[in-house]
Amino acid sequence: MSASGRVLREIRANRRPLRLLGASGQLGYGVPTPAFNAGLARKPDMIGCDMGSIDIGPTYLGKGEMATSPESTRRDLRKVLRGARSLDIPLIIGSAGSAGAAAHLNATLDIIRDIARTDGLSFRMAVIPADTDRAMLLEAVRAGRVTGLDDMPALTEQDVNDASNIVGQMGTGPFRKALEMDVDVIVAGRACDTGIFAALPTALGFPTGLSVHMAKIVECASLCCVPGGRDSILAILDDDGFVLESMNPDRRATPTSVAAHSLYEQSDPYTVHEPDGSLDLTNARYVAVDDRRARVSGAAWKDSIDPTIKLEGATKIGERAILLCGSADPRFIAQSKELLPKVAIVVRDLVCEDTTEDYTLHFRVYGVDGVRMNVPPNEAMPGEVFIMAECIAPTRERASEVVRTCKQFLLHYGYPGRLSTAGNIAFPFTPPEISVGPAYRFSIYHLLHVSDVDALFPVEVETL
Amino acid sequence: MKLSDVAQVVRSKNAGPRRLTFDIMFGSDEDYRRVAQSPAINAEIIGGLYGVPAAEVTIFPYPVGRAIKIVLARKIMAGDPGDFDVYGAQQHAPLLGIEL
Repeated sequence: MSASGRVLREIRANRRPLRLLGASGQLGYGVPTPAFNAGLARKPDMIGCDMGSIDIGPTYLGKGEMATSPESTRRDLRKVLRGARSLDIPLIIGSAGSAGAAAHLNATLDIIRDIARTDGLSFRMAVIPADTDRAMLLEAVRAGRVTGLDDMPALTEQDVNDASNIVGQMGTGPFRKALEMDVDVIVAGRACDTGIFAALPTALGFPTGLSVHMAKIVECASLCCVPGGRDSILAILDDDGFVLESMNPDRRATPTSVAAHSLYEQSDPYTVHEPDGSLDLTNARYVAVDDRRARVSGAAWKDSIDPTIKLEGATKIGERAILLCGSADPRFIAQSKELLPKVAIVVRDLVCEDTTEDYTLHFRVYGVDGVRMNVPPNEAMPGEVFIMAECIAPTRERASEVVRTCKQFLLHYGYPGRLSTAGNIAFPFTPPEISVGPAYRFSIYHLLHVSDVDALFPVEVETL
Repeated sequence: MKLSDVAQVVRSKNAGPRRLTFDIMFGSDEDYRRVAQSPAINAEIIGGLYGVPAAEVTIFPYPVGRAIKIVLARKIMAGDPGDFDVYGAQQHAPLLGIEL
């Protein structure tokens, strides 16, 4: 019998509190070994790791690339895989390979298969792809079953056809189904981070509200502690609540720190929307067990009458090239807001002499307005600025042409009151232009309204 | 007194690629109450700091976490051409100087 079958049978036969180890909220960026080993010593019933997020932007999803390096990803996967196998407990990984599309999932699986081969491990692995079937999605668009999230414009058939990759965030159901298939390891494509940790307790009949609330916290490892950090965290769940304890003795889970974690990256601290329902934290209570453990209770769950899957899709919009330079001229800096658009016109007139304006060119003046969404008027000007020009064009060559032209005419642009007639900008090195690669944007951030949210995520099992 | 003199944490981050969320956290219930009750923490003032209409600013008092959450729409979707902060992690600065 494999790990999930054993754990389910054992706890169904002899019900007791469940012990869940949150090993990492960003698998591939390093799992601190002392805390992870301390977690293993506490004999958890499962290990879970989240591996992805939409925060990293559209390019990883579109291009099918991981955000983490292959070396650190392999090191982390090996650590959690060996840990789970040493205790014969399920290892559950969600949002494989940073963005959770087929390319990311397959790259993750290849590393796992290679580790199994090299280390002589054998186990049963469930694989849950998260790619959205385009024919199904086109039909849903036509039927009006797709709605925009946060004022996203309505999804069109062209958006669906143009997207490089489209994934749906699976909920807890597909993980639960995989656990019932008697496996040792579950690797899922794009997934709600709660699914990783809520599947085992809900399969065992623990209350859904508590299970999902616990899952929402431990998927970030020890981030809910003071000081917050990446170390593994242990949750012990019973029918009335759960206790959180960081596996790093220097991190304390306090009632306030755990409560405050509900704010993190959420637009509403009291409600968490999941595919098949929502978590209501209005009556959540947080109490200290001792100075570094907190007990949490009171979360309620409400099934949805309109189940939805959150879709994410990225579309290639061209090739990106950038120019890096700086200035220390007070007159140039003071006028940069007016000057740069004029330089852009000079560039356009040159590079569009025999073709259309088929690119975008953005300037960011770091020190003035490179970072902030809204800059107050009449701010004092800095002594130096860093300038980045960014071009997105149909081809790598075209983007390069635009930023190279931009460099030359930004260097020599004449403006009223100019004293520095040999050049307006400084280059830290030459060439100062860099071709970055393909650029993508999120073209899909929508909800798919679907009665069976789990049917979109088939579970496959392989034996290694 | 400025917000940065009282708050223990003032942070910003995306809540999905189309929303920015700000968390202001306090070290004591007293500090939390002082700021939560301040007339300076309102949608008009915060909208003004970010150049968005007050109607698009949501403020959540969150006493159990000794925190105030603010949510507003990003002007540019995360990662779109012209974006300047893909994670949204550096949009907190205008809040620091709010006079309570």
